[in-house]
Amino acid sequence: MVHALYEAHRVLKPTGVLLDLRPTATHRRVGLGKGVSWQSVGVMRERFDDDRAADHAVAQVLGNGLYKRQRQTRFDLDRVMDTMEDFRTWLNEFVQLGNLASHESLIKRVEAAKNKQRAQTKITVRGPLKLGVMKKIEKL
Amino acid sequence: MALIIDPAKDEIRALKNAVDWRGKRVLEVGCGDGRLTLRLASLGPSKIEAVESDAELIHTARKNLPEHYSKQIHYRVGNAEQLKYPDNTFDVVVFAWVL
Repeated sequence: MVHALYEAHRVLKPTGVLLDLRPTATHRRVGLGKGVSWQSVGVMRERFDDDRAADHAVAQVLGNGLYKRQRQTRFDLDRVMDTMEDFRTWLNEFVQLGNLASHESLIKRVEAAKNKQRAQTKITVRGPLKLGVMKKIEKL
Repeated sequence: MALIIDPAKDEIRALKNAVDWRGKRVLEVGCGDGRLTLRLASLGPSKIEAVESDAELIHTARKNLPEHYSKQIHYRVGNAEQLKYPDNTFDVVVFAWVL
């Protein structure tokens, strides 16, 4: 990770800016509906080892004087799915990629909640992202 | 699978407010299938070099590249730790879910 941040520094112009966009170390929430009508049903259980390592790498290059942090913003990113099948497919892939424990109980809870709603009610996974803005500092 | 990511466009709004993109040379590292790349292109950079380590995703991104962005966006298989570009090339580098 640190090496990638050094590579970005190398290819940036002297006045260049690095944008670091990624999820925060926060468990995603699963709910029904979308936008302001979204209602939480359950919470995913994720691992944050990589996120903490990324934070550490960024802190290291800031400490080494490669970049100056200008600001950091945080916002929610929604993934909206039409059906339980879509949700199950997405979640199973996510669990497999992240080597996470089974989320079968969450699936059952979402399914039970969705069965009480209209058929067209969407399933939305909501998780916060952060966007770090860092200005390149020329090394002397 | 029917999946819509960021229908409210909060992600691109945050990126739009982060820098002035107009006429800039941009490197996006970790472009995946090009979902975010196409949104970045709409902000007006002169050129986007989009890099992804997964060749299959680059194939998908190229397949989904609209004709009107074909001169603005260039997809390439590559590694974040060994970028094939000269020093001092880009105004903006975006690490999209890479770190």
